[in-house]
Amino acid sequence: MELFTPEFGLVFWMFVAFACLYFILAKWGWPFIIKSMEERADLIDKGVAYAQQAKANLDNAKAEADKLIAEAQSQQADILREAARMRTELIEKARSDAAEEEKKVRAASQISLEQARKEAEKQMRLEMGDLALQIAEKVIRRNLSGDDAQRALVDQYLNEVETKN
Amino acid sequence: MKSKIITAVVALVIVVLMGMGYDSSARHHSHEQAGEVDVKELIFEHLGDAYGWEVPFNHSQSIPLPIIVWGKDGLHCFMSNRITGGETYEGYKISTSEDYHGKVVQVLDDGSEYRPWDFSITKNVAGIAIAAVLVIVMVMSLKRWYARNGMKAPRRLKGALELVVDFVYTDTIRPILGKNAPKYASYLMTAFFFILTMNLLGLIVIFPGGANLTGNIAVTLVLAVLTFLITNFSGTKEYWKEIFWPDVPVMLKFPAPIMPLVELLGIFTKPMALMIRLFANMMSGHMVVIVLISLIFVFTSQFSVGVGAGTIVPSLAFTLFMLLLDTLISFIQAYVFTLLSAIFISMAIVEPHTHETK
Repeated sequence: MELFTPEFGLVFWMFVAFACLYFILAKWGWPFIIKSMEERADLIDKGVAYAQQAKANLDNAKAEADKLIAEAQSQQADILREAARMRTELIEKARSDAAEEEKKVRAASQISLEQARKEAEKQMRLEMGDLALQIAEKVIRRNLSGDDAQRALVDQYLNEVETKN
Repeated sequence: MKSKIITAVVALVIVVLMGMGYDSSARHHSHEQAGEVDVKELIFEHLGDAYGWEVPFNHSQSIPLPIIVWGKDGLHCFMSNRITGGETYEGYKISTSEDYHGKVVQVLDDGSEYRPWDFSITKNVAGIAIAAVLVIVMVMSLKRWYARNGMKAPRRLKGALELVVDFVYTDTIRPILGKNAPKYASYLMTAFFFILTMNLLGLIVIFPGGANLTGNIAVTLVLAVLTFLITNFSGTKEYWKEIFWPDVPVMLKFPAPIMPLVELLGIFTKPMALMIRLFANMMSGHMVVIVLISLIFVFTSQFSVGVGAGTIVPSLAFTLFMLLLDTLISFIQAYVFTLLSAIFISMAIVEPHTHETK
């Protein structure tokens, strides 16, 4: 049947037409189109991924910022509490230091007072001794003069001593 | 309201045109069988090729096309309108004999007919050329868009074109062929768009369309042979091994090579199926449409003009339905051809199986 027998001329021209079409499109058409489309698909994919990443980052950033603020607030509270504690501690310490110092000073002054007293006693004893010795010496030297005279002498020396001191 | 008026006008115009068509059709065939419509002749005339492209509503005039023949006395080129009326020109005429019906033959000195090498630009060849130019224009316009606009997505017609390209390449060829896709994409895409364009052109009834291109076995033969050649020339060692020494029990391949024979046959049946599928689908679509339209004239000649006129509306409704169906089939068949070609190629470039079968 005519329909089922391929016509030679038509086969020939069909082949020529297809060959030309293929040559033109394979050289200048399809590779460029496919490359462009794939590039664009890649670009879009990357864009979507980038946007998702950016959104995630933004969400993260918000959470991070909140966290930071909370942290800062707690830190601030900590610092304030610490400062208060330190202040009271300082005051306490200063107070106790001062008390101790005072005690020390007082003890030291007592000691020095005692020492001074002892010193004075010692001094006085020495002086009294000396004085007694002098008096005794003078008494012995003028032994022979009258009682009145001796008494007057003693008075005189005592006066001397008193004025000396 | 407005749309109803438009519908009524269009319907009226169609009916009048159909009447005119009936008129010229009846006149055309009247010299053969008075008043009778030779439906078979009508169908084969529409499905077949022609030397010249008929214009609507006119059977005596047609767009002349060049006839190129290589006869016993060398090359002859002339326009088809010199012989389509039944005349003989430079010893050539369109045969009416049984053997070469409707083809250009050379009348030899002894009166016998000799069929020369016929390279005529027939209606189908011209149709193929138009389809090829259309495909080039479409694809190049898309390419120019990318060259000019870079990453911007095309709109309108180019957007639709890109959608189809994306569908065929990204969703079909690439998953099937994988990393080999770019190598074969040019052939497969060209085949797809060429077939699609030819299919759709065949559905347009007047001049740039109307040629039954993919419903012609010569056209599908070329396409199938190309797939056959590409498949087998890119066949790997593993592909040929699976044909001549497949993994089946030895008694199936030696001494009697049953499986190799089956496999070898498969090489040829696959493209054969491609050829016949496309051809038969498109041809039958055209045929059904022509038969439906012919019903009007058959009923008119068999019964009366009134019966024929009554057939117009249902016949046109069915025709419209068939044409819509054919539009779908045009796409499906182009897609199926591309899909199967891609699958055949992917089967030919198979790598050795990783699992050992001993």
